[in-house]
Amino acid sequence: MATALTFKDFAGQKAMWCPGCGDFAVLRALQEACARLALPPHRIVLVSGIGCSGKITSYFSSYGFHVHHGRTLPIATGIALANRDLAVIAAGGDGDGYGIGLNHLIHAIRRDVDLTYVVMDNGVYGNTKGQTSPTTVAGTITPSSPSGAVEEPVHPLRLALAAGITYLAQGVSSDVPQLVRLIAGGIEHRGFALINVLSPCPTYDRLRTYQWWRARLVNLDEEPSYRPDSRELAVEAVSSRDASIVGLVYRAPGRPFQSRLPRFRPSPLASERLAPDGERARRILDARYAV
Amino acid sequence: MMPAFTKGNEAIAESAIRAGLRAYFGYPVTPQSELPEYLARRLPERGGVFLQAESEIAAINMVYGAGARVMISTSGPGFSLMQEGLSYLVGAEVPCVVVDMMRGGPGLGNIAPAQGDYFQATKSAGHGDGRLLVLAPWSVQEACDLTRVAFDLADRYRNPVAILGDGLLGQMMEPVVLPAPVEPARDVAWATTGAGSGPARVITSLDLEPEALEARNRRLQEKYRRAQQEVRWEGYRLDDADVAVVAYGISARIARTAVDRARDEGVAAGLVRPITLFPFPSQAVRDVASRVRIVLVTELSAGQMVEDVRLAADGRVPVRFYGRFGGMVSTPPEILDQIEQAASEVRAA
Repeated sequence: MATALTFKDFAGQKAMWCPGCGDFAVLRALQEACARLALPPHRIVLVSGIGCSGKITSYFSSYGFHVHHGRTLPIATGIALANRDLAVIAAGGDGDGYGIGLNHLIHAIRRDVDLTYVVMDNGVYGNTKGQTSPTTVAGTITPSSPSGAVEEPVHPLRLALAAGITYLAQGVSSDVPQLVRLIAGGIEHRGFALINVLSPCPTYDRLRTYQWWRARLVNLDEEPSYRPDSRELAVEAVSSRDASIVGLVYRAPGRPFQSRLPRFRPSPLASERLAPDGERARRILDARYAV
Repeated sequence: MMPAFTKGNEAIAESAIRAGLRAYFGYPVTPQSELPEYLARRLPERGGVFLQAESEIAAINMVYGAGARVMISTSGPGFSLMQEGLSYLVGAEVPCVVVDMMRGGPGLGNIAPAQGDYFQATKSAGHGDGRLLVLAPWSVQEACDLTRVAFDLADRYRNPVAILGDGLLGQMMEPVVLPAPVEPARDVAWATTGAGSGPARVITSLDLEPEALEARNRRLQEKYRRAQQEVRWEGYRLDDADVAVVAYGISARIARTAVDRARDEGVAAGLVRPITLFPFPSQAVRDVASRVRIVLVTELSAGQMVEDVRLAADGRVPVRFYGRFGGMVSTPPEILDQIEQAASEVRAA
């Protein structure tokens, strides 16, 4: 029975992140979310990019796709459009998604491709030993910014909202139950869902620790006056507070790319019989070249 | 001058600064991250610009725009991403130095030493018909020295120059005598320097008229012909050799030890070490192939440079190949065994 699934059904190889890495919580939350939704492993494709976060495909038991740096979303889009009965989840880090892959994020959002994107945002390039990432706070000293990072960080929530996202959430690795809700909601959402997870790197980021986040974060899910269906409130929240909020930031009815494709059939392309209509092709060509 | 004890990556970085480096754009990737990290500290001190871009694609295009002495560094996966930009640099004849510290491939592969990017570095700079000039050091000292050479060649030929190393060369530490700093006299008549006089300069690789584009290509090919005078290679114990080992970079380091051991055992072996991979020392290989009885090529790849060796040898002698790949590094006993096999092959003939 699918309802009997637990997170253990999604256990892959032993995770080899550093002790204390926030990505353990993301992995666990993803496993719990899939179990809660009764999605069996063979119905899921997990796509990951490069960086510490990219290892998640090895640690999660489902179909997996470990891809080139920054390219999770184009590949996930291809999977979602062809293998239409699978749940497609992309996962990666802030360098992968907000650096080299940022343009793909904007286009996936505007297409509203029906897939879920979980970003493990630790604000540092952990895999290459601690250089700045797109979400590194200005002034942070790293091996590639020995005098302090000069650039302002990317604000993923603002960008996503401005690009027209239909499901936007932010979680933190210290609150797995909330992460499970946010990820499950994203998978259920028909359209593109971004869940940005503040995932501390205890090895290379001495500033943004679990304690540091705990002292700053406001939980929108617990604010009685906050309504995630209000774009106005969402814009206000990401404009004034951005990195210090967690919870469901915004949700609107999705208009998935899939549902807008002409003559879209929900069955997988691989099992579709697309018999060539030779007569029709002939008529089209004849009309085109008729003299 | 007291030698410094330095990693290959850092030696290249410091040598670049001493060659007048003004700007560096890059993106972290193992096993070359020490290079940008060193420059992040040192280059701004010297008034230069260091920028960690959002991707290798962005970084190479920043290099395209820099105009000043500029460098970029990476490893295989990033080198692939830079091919697009390199094609534009070659087409527009804009100089730069690109360092590729090769790692195991294909794809993400691993971070161990390899020489699998030889084809990509030497055969084509991205799409089209352009080339990189390619230098292959075998020691930290030579990496340091060839960095200076690379900048000079880039300016002289207005073409990107690649330093093709590997993870081992980048990571290992050796004593190195650093060159004295120079302030290069550069002819930048091509660059958009903001000069108010003379005709407007437009940097482009676009020539819609086939006649014009063919002319541009002829100019590039003429340039590569002229660059033949830059060929560098080194011979070792070749005078009476029966077996010539051909190897570059770190493979040549390993092969030299094997050649010495073969000599100890009475096998007349020698070593040809190409230092420029493009232009390839074809004439030297041809001459050696005319004198020895068999050639053995060894690389940390499934066999890439061996194709250039075979072209150069042109059937004069048998050319055998031995490679380790995927991040595995051959050992002197392995190469010695191959030398002995090659020697017995020609003794039997």
